[in-house]
Amino acid sequence: MVMPVSEISSYIIHTQEEEIKRIALELHEGVGQNLYSLFTGLQFIEGGIENPVMKSALKDMTAVLAKTIQEVRLLSVELHPPALSAFGLFAATKSYIKLYTNTFGIEVELITIGKERLVSEKENIVLFRVFQEALANIAKHADTSCATVTFRWEETFLAIEIADEGVGFDSNEENSRNNLGLAVMKERMHLAGGTFTIQSQREQGTYIKLTLPLR
Amino acid sequence: MRNLRNFQPAADACAKLRIEIGSDFAGLAIQNENTPDVSWHQAAGNRNDKYKKINVRFGKGIAGRVISTGRPMSVVHFPNDILGKALDYPIMLAENLQSAYAVPLVFNQVQRGVLLVGNRQEHIFTEEAKEAVARTAAELQELIDRFYRGEADGEA
Ligand SMILES: Nc1ncnc2c1ncn2[C@@H]1O[C@H](COP(=O)(O)OP(=O)(O)O)[C@@H](O)[C@H]1O
Ligand SMILES: [Mg+2]
Repeated sequence: MVMPVSEISSYIIHTQEEEIKRIALELHEGVGQNLYSLFTGLQFIEGGIENPVMKSALKDMTAVLAKTIQEVRLLSVELHPPALSAFGLFAATKSYIKLYTNTFGIEVELITIGKERLVSEKENIVLFRVFQEALANIAKHADTSCATVTFRWEETFLAIEIADEGVGFDSNEENSRNNLGLAVMKERMHLAGGTFTIQSQREQGTYIKLTLPLR
Repeated sequence: MRNLRNFQPAADACAKLRIEIGSDFAGLAIQNENTPDVSWHQAAGNRNDKYKKINVRFGKGIAGRVISTGRPMSVVHFPNDILGKALDYPIMLAENLQSAYAVPLVFNQVQRGVLLVGNRQEHIFTEEAKEAVARTAAELQELIDRFYRGEADGEA
């Protein structure tokens, strides 16, 4: 039996995403919950200790534990945003943008046109990953303080536009060796049955448009 | 509030250091009180205001790593000689820096900070420049300690 390459790629990407999701959940629900039980236990013990040296040692330990719990939670969210499965693409995008502004200092205006429609979880994750890579590129390369993301919900398709007015680059110049990120974005959209276009010019900023047919 | 954003002596110290060593950028980051994160309170030579919004995760990037290890750190040619991803270095990206040198500060024996100088080209900071950074760091440490103590006494 021979499977087409595109189907194999789809399958690989999908199983990889499932695995990432499983790890994220395990970190959050399993490891995170256990650490939290330890944290409350230590706090309880600290309350009952008189010896000041022991008390202060325990306090330091609880502080380290609190940091670790926070790290595990952030790592889990970074791997797979829980909002994506629970509240859908737009909510996940919104919460990611908040984190993004707090991390890179870049303001992102989020615009939505039309009524949000149901997108399958498999497609949600594709759109989200491509959107994440587009924003990462803005932080890395655009040298700008703001960007705009537009969701356009049409009757038959969803379009997501990601635009910045940063330094831009020559998007016609084929330099495939260095454009792996862009190539993967394009491939992911194609495998999901959608489209990916990018327009950029030096000093003119960059414009990316993703479309995905809706059933 | 341990906010040093309007604390002019810290701004002056950063500006003076930048001119003294001829670097493109100098900035001061302080660990937040209630979260393990670090944020930038002062900058000199900045090209935009992104630094004001940046929160660095504990242990990540230059500021995060200098605070978690308590040791100085240099970057000579960003992003070619770094640990981790370029995205873990938001201040380098925000200010388009290619090189940096950063040292830790400690206030009230616990709360920590970072003093960072950076250039927009590949650069190795000389021993003299590093000494100047260390001097400014000691000066800032004292200034800020005094500022916090004044605050605690209700003077500030
Ligand atoms: N928003 C953007 N602004 C400016 N340049 C960009 C932007 N997005 C991509 N680029 C340019 O396109 C190149 C390829 O991007 P990508 O394939 O994602 O690779 P990488 O991010 O690993 O460099 C980048 O190195 C950069 O020069
Ligand atoms: Mg990229």
